Amino acid sequence: MSHCTFSVSAASLARFKRRNRLNHLAIALSLLAMAFGMFWLLWILWETFSQGIAGLGISMFTENTPPPDGPLGEGGLGNAILGSLLMVALATFIGAPIGILSGVYLAEYNPRGKLAVTVRFINDLLLSAPSIIIGLFVYGIIVVGMKEFSGWAGAAALALIVIPIVIRTTENMLALIPYGLREAAYALGAPKWKVITRITLAAARAGVLTGILLAVARIAGETAPLLFTALNNQFWKAGLSGPTANLPVTILQFAMSPYENWQQLAWCGVFLITFAVLGLNILARFLARGTKTSN
Amino acid sequence: MTESTAPPPSKITVRNLNFYYGKFRALKEINLDIAEHCVTAFIGPSGCGKSTLLRTFNRMFELYPEQRAEGEILLDGENLLDSKHNVALIRARIGMVFQKPTPFPMSIFDNISFGVKLFENLSRIELEERVEWALRKAALWDEVKDKLNQNGASLSGGQQQRLCIARGVAIKPEILLLDEPCSALDPISTARIEELIAELKKDYTVIIVTHNMQQAARCSDYTAYMYLGELMEVGETEQMFLKPSRQETEDYITGRFG
Repeated sequence: MSHCTFSVSAASLARFKRRNRLNHLAIALSLLAMAFGMFWLLWILWETFSQGIAGLGISMFTENTPPPDGPLGEGGLGNAILGSLLMVALATFIGAPIGILSGVYLAEYNPRGKLAVTVRFINDLLLSAPSIIIGLFVYGIIVVGMKEFSGWAGAAALALIVIPIVIRTTENMLALIPYGLREAAYALGAPKWKVITRITLAAARAGVLTGILLAVARIAGETAPLLFTALNNQFWKAGLSGPTANLPVTILQFAMSPYENWQQLAWCGVFLITFAVLGLNILARFLARGTKTSN
Repeated sequence: MTESTAPPPSKITVRNLNFYYGKFRALKEINLDIAEHCVTAFIGPSGCGKSTLLRTFNRMFELYPEQRAEGEILLDGENLLDSKHNVALIRARIGMVFQKPTPFPMSIFDNISFGVKLFENLSRIELEERVEWALRKAALWDEVKDKLNQNGASLSGGQQQRLCIARGVAIKPEILLLDEPCSALDPISTARIEELIAELKKDYTVIIVTHNMQQAARCSDYTAYMYLGELMEVGETEQMFLKPSRQETEDYITGRFG
């Protein structure tokens, strides 16, 4: 293809060859950049896998975090896994509906109005706010007010991270729905709430779900907002009152410690979170692909 | 096409209609009668206001705050632009099919029943009968009767457009508005929809906006030629295509202009 010369003038042939060389150069640089990024990512995954898999067993899920400096392989992360699951679930349960409803408002009700513009601006601020600041905020409001660290406060902090993500993805997904689809529903005499719930939200369903999954993936690994709110706990505990064990803070504490058994467990925690997040992202990808084919 | 000299009764009467997109005046003093149980075609170059006029009949423009209509559109003698008439009830009497097929993100069955259920409380069996009736009207039943639970988007473009026509027919409106319904379709699908239009006018008053002159000539009884927001000429289609009374109309129809 690049060798066909036909009856092209020398000048334009030279120009073509120059363009072709530039093209190859650009491709080479792009591949190099990709290899550089992939190298570190794969290294992280490999390190997580090889260090984490060693201590992984059923006791990881059933036993509590052990005291420091105990024998290797004793104890698990059961309480931290349970606490994390509870907090992430509650945060999603609170944050996702608020996010979806706000996103619907921004996309469907006067999207260029003053209120919508203001909300969008503030949401962007919240979206890029460092999570430690959200942790401090919840500390000041809930932890200081209730005079104790608690899983409730942790879930509240995580919910504050979920909301802006879900608002943004919901609004974007709804904005992608062609206006003709809404008009077609209105032309049948459908009321606005029905157009939104049955038509537009239904059409954007996969995208909205993807946004929620990505938000869950994001908060699953958040450490900073939990440091000031849920803190940590060495024991099993049903419910979210009082300091609550969770994976990210446990990883932080155990990884910073000089005890080998704790360090081993920290690696296991990293392994669990990394692959849970990876799984969520793959699921989100899968759902997002579903949207394109159905439209 | 009508033999008698007495014109058929008019279903829609437009009087002194002006339409504005913000400050821009898109329709200028439109006066027009739409005959009942006939097909009326709106033709004219892009931007002449034919779609705009069509969209005033079901008050579609009200979705956009910067658009407004002034004047009267009488439907059986009642001014439908009057805000005392509920817009949803007007749209139940006036169905609309758009340029691009717009299947809803649901099954073929639900695509049809969605509109029906808005206004009627039917039993499951009655609903099934209505869906079949509408799909037969739109000449789609034989192609989809075995896959009513499939998503509407799984159909081909021409089938999707007939699905949209079935959806509009299902709520048993009195008038059908067709906004360039064939512009995204291949010739075979177009022919099927044109046959359908001829069939539909027995029960409905049909208004069609089209860019295709042959289409207007083939399937309409009356033709209205619009230019720059004005209604230039309206009359029986045969008359309009054989010897229009205005030079501009003839120029447009014969392709010398537009």
